Amino acid sequence: MARDLVLAYGERVALTASDFDIPAGALTALIGPNGSGKSTILNAIAGLLEPISGRLAVLAGPRRLAATAYVLQSTAVNEAMPVTVREVVGMGRYGSLGPFRRFTTQDRALCAAAMDRLAITELASRHLDELSGGQRQRVFVAQGLAQAADLLLLDEPITGLDLPSTERIRTAIEEERRRGVTVILTTHELTDAAAADWVLLLAGRVVAAGPPDEVLVPARLSEAYGVSFVTEGGRTIIDDAGHRPRVARHSETHARTGPDLDALPE
Amino acid sequence: MFDWLTDPFSVHFMQQALLGGLLAAVTTSLIGTWVVIRGMTFMGDALAHGVLPGIALAFVLGIDLTLGAVAGALVMVAGIAFVHRKARLREDTGIGLLFVGMLALGVIIVSRLPSFTTSLTTFLFGDILGVRSSDLLVQAAAAAIAVVGIVVLYRPFLVLSFNEAKAQVLCLHPKLAHIAMLTLLTLAIVTSFRAVGTLLVFGLLIAPPATAALLARSVPTMMLTATGLGCASVVIGLLLSWHLGTAAGATVAAVAVAVFFAVLLARDVADPVFRSRRRTSVVDGGS
Repeated sequence: MARDLVLAYGERVALTASDFDIPAGALTALIGPNGSGKSTILNAIAGLLEPISGRLAVLAGPRRLAATAYVLQSTAVNEAMPVTVREVVGMGRYGSLGPFRRFTTQDRALCAAAMDRLAITELASRHLDELSGGQRQRVFVAQGLAQAADLLLLDEPITGLDLPSTERIRTAIEEERRRGVTVILTTHELTDAAAADWVLLLAGRVVAAGPPDEVLVPARLSEAYGVSFVTEGGRTIIDDAGHRPRVARHSETHARTGPDLDALPE
Repeated sequence: MFDWLTDPFSVHFMQQALLGGLLAAVTTSLIGTWVVIRGMTFMGDALAHGVLPGIALAFVLGIDLTLGAVAGALVMVAGIAFVHRKARLREDTGIGLLFVGMLALGVIIVSRLPSFTTSLTTFLFGDILGVRSSDLLVQAAAAAIAVVGIVVLYRPFLVLSFNEAKAQVLCLHPKLAHIAMLTLLTLAIVTSFRAVGTLLVFGLLIAPPATAALLARSVPTMMLTATGLGCASVVIGLLLSWHLGTAAGATVAAVAVAVFFAVLLARDVADPVFRSRRRTSVVDGGS
């Protein structure tokens, strides 16, 4: 829950005064153009960024940092480190183990289960720089799952990935949602936002928040993206074909994997 | 041949040099591993040279040189943080400014001394053949602290190197871990400079871990490999300098760097499997 929330990096305001709620135990998607404040909100929820003003309450109680799993964008990590996939996933347990406590059977089981769910068990002794982008992203998601947290944050978990990795990650997210974990992810994909329980549409402020069928409507999307959207035959698409390359830049996945813009159920 | 190896170390000052060098190699290799992994080599370089004015001033005032080095390092780290915060410049710009400023200040102080050239040479290149027993005790304590620190702080250092935000979310206090790492780095430099000098301590700090990075597949093995390589460089460097009559500290540092290039070339020539495995892993992506 946020009231009059303002978030900024130094003097650069990334999110102007905004009120919004995010339901617990559900899947929430943050969608908006680049620089609209998606990752900024995730950072604030993760406790990495203190609000300049306003209030942000996470899970209606005192924030327990280790109870938050945060899957960062893969570009943000040091991939040249001499660590294996198994060790990277194991780092997820450090939050509850602290610097000294040894891994218990349960810790090992959580890591093994996370690796299994993302189909990276066979890659366990590989290094990050020996993996493809999709495999690497699955490792980072497995690291988040290994934390067994009640709040799972994912920053663009499927942007620009190969199809098998995208499917594995989508399935894992769906499983977490069914288990009652509060999942918040940022995405450029209208389809992923439409599949969520709750959507925050962002453009430097919260343009709209609510169930996908109320938020992902042409008028609101146009407001956020600055281009016209229309609904045609059950699909929400960009009105002007001339704008497609620009939107494709916002959403690299469209350009790589999709022949057309996203379909939206009416 | 056996005499060639043992003769030099039958002399007392060479035994002291060997011990001093080995202790320096242990401390610097352990800390240097994290410096290499985190890409902090410029910081390490600057810190190694930034201690010079502290040492020079301590020499002028007649106090312990190690204390002077510690003071120099503190000024250096504080100065870098100050520039980074106030001037909104990238950290490496601050490091560069402090690096040159402190080095210049050190040379200015030394230039006021009557024995300008000798003192400067000793500070910059060390005096491994003049290592005293009291120096060895300090070095042994530093090596012990480094070993304990590296073991205790393994997880915070590992996740900090992986990603700072991740370390914070996992409650591993990345800012404190970074300060601890800088402290250990300072410790390695100020206790090792007497043996190899402020200019060459950087060689022992970077070269063995960089070589180990080519060979090791985990951080602990990288540390052990680096320590082994560092110690080997000290022994080989001292032997060569004894028999060839070259400057001991410089020979040790040169051997450490030469080993890096030898391993780099040998790995590519002798291990085509290594490279083909890397290629395969890129091809089978997404399975």
